[in-house]
Amino acid sequence: MNQPALRISKLTVKSTLEPGAPAIVSEIGFDLRKGEILALVGESGCGKTKTAEAIMGLLPASHWQVTAGAIELNGTDCSDLPPASLRKLRGNEISMIFQEPLTALDPVFSCGHQVSSVLRRHLGSARNEARDRTIKMLQQVGFADPERIFRSYPHQLSGGMRQRVMIAMAMSCRPAVLIADEPTTALDVTTQAQVLDQLTKLGREYGTAILLITHDLGVVAQYADRVMVMLDGVIVETAEVENLFKQPQHPCTRQLLSYTTGAVA
Amino acid sequence: MPQRSPTLLSIRNLSVEYPPAAGSRKPLRAVRGVSLDIAAGEIYGLVGESGSGKSSLAHAILQLVKPNAGQALFRGNDLFTMNKSDLNSARKDIQLVFQDSLASLSPRRTVRQALTEPLEHFRIGNPAERPAQVAASLETVDLDPALANRYPQELSGGQRQRVALARAVITRPSLIIADEPVSSLDVRVQSRIIKVIKDLRVKRGIAFIFVSHDLAVVRKLADSVGVMYLGKLLETGPAQTLFAAPAHPYTKSLLQAVPVADPGHPRPLVLGGEQPSPLTPPAGCVFHMRCPEVFDPCLVNMPSETVVAAPESSQNCAHKVRCHICNPIHN
Repeated sequence: MNQPALRISKLTVKSTLEPGAPAIVSEIGFDLRKGEILALVGESGCGKTKTAEAIMGLLPASHWQVTAGAIELNGTDCSDLPPASLRKLRGNEISMIFQEPLTALDPVFSCGHQVSSVLRRHLGSARNEARDRTIKMLQQVGFADPERIFRSYPHQLSGGMRQRVMIAMAMSCRPAVLIADEPTTALDVTTQAQVLDQLTKLGREYGTAILLITHDLGVVAQYADRVMVMLDGVIVETAEVENLFKQPQHPCTRQLLSYTTGAVA
Repeated sequence: MPQRSPTLLSIRNLSVEYPPAAGSRKPLRAVRGVSLDIAAGEIYGLVGESGSGKSSLAHAILQLVKPNAGQALFRGNDLFTMNKSDLNSARKDIQLVFQDSLASLSPRRTVRQALTEPLEHFRIGNPAERPAQVAASLETVDLDPALANRYPQELSGGQRQRVALARAVITRPSLIIADEPVSSLDVRVQSRIIKVIKDLRVKRGIAFIFVSHDLAVVRKLADSVGVMYLGKLLETGPAQTLFAAPAHPYTKSLLQAVPVADPGHPRPLVLGGEQPSPLTPPAGCVFHMRCPEVFDPCLVNMPSETVVAAPESSQNCAHKVRCHICNPIHN
């Protein structure tokens, strides 16, 4: 059985506010294999984030028209699920971390409360049990003093620490799929290395497949197994990471590579 | 450049402190005794992690935050002790570009109005010449002069940042302090702005203090580099030498943390821990808590500056480092 963790086919996202405009994401399809790290790269505005939000069911129907052949999570189609069933999957079987952890975390609840509420909701853990598991989870993402982090509020932590709290929250139910949307773009290089290290280590340990959205080909080269290049809502190239860097096929890929390798005209 | 140009700005022992937060008595010491020199026409890259004090340093030069101690000698005159009218004319010669162009341009003024304002303030040219001056300035940053009628929110991030540059350039400054000017931009847009900055240096001889946490960008652009950590300058030198042979363990870890766009290259090394809070800086060397090469003297005092390599020719500044390992006494 080589069923992928996530299979997307013919996913299209259109704005309902501009009916005549071209689709933001246009009939894309891909398989995210179990346990792999698949990178999605492209310039800003190419539709990377909209793809992620459409998969997660985060685009309000009042503004966005999402159509899909299928969004299969471990073989089960969840493209047409009612909101209540979708909520059971989100944060449990499939979760997401965002670029800006300060806006993704709630400022009025402690970090511990936010991580443990995921465990309580999805696994039905009792308060004490959820607390213990949260502390362990915070330890797993590299905090030396998880008790203090548990009590802290997001604004009291640095950007890198907040992103690690997000990872703890997203990974706490050992999801089959994690979508990480530019998780380190707002961070310093040293912090980026810390965060990506924790993320890939946990992914390997839990067997979580990761869809890593980024514009940084350095990150792709060092952390991903495969990579998809997106241009204007279409996936123009998919390759094993090594092949992409050795033999980029699409002009868009070659151009992205030229910015990264420092060729400034 | 056959010879190193004369020093344009010389910062001596600059310190910046922010007053204690409510309920606390400790001031936050963001910049602690930093000295550096910028030559005319030089691009000086100031790098460091967030919270290292690099923006405080950049803003203190123009007294957007008040420096506590030190001097900033601009063409030999101390900006910190100048009277108001001298400082005003110095500000014409030293311009600023901020990270967030949407916040630094008024949403209620068109590009033309935003660019005309510094001309009026500094009484440059007469009103009849202004439209031409605005158009010329937009052209120097590679923008269509027709954009002058737009509002900032109608422009893309890259266009807006170039408008901010055009506004800085319009007073014909000799120094532009750019605080993370490309950090929130796409790589493609970044490389375009980097090209504009390089052009401005070549064509107009403008010097830049380029503040950035992105070493890859600084590497493409800077002539000299200063590496800051917790309010101190740990290593300075010509960009080529510093990137090829970093002397300070912190500079080394910063460079090793950058993921290389080559799958055959080893993964970035992870530097453990976090930068300590500037409210409670550690005793001894500021970096000793995270330093992979820490030894006894590091716990005791902050190392003084040692010269790693004297300038090979008169066009380079010396490569200097503050680290006990590099101090000959310990070797």
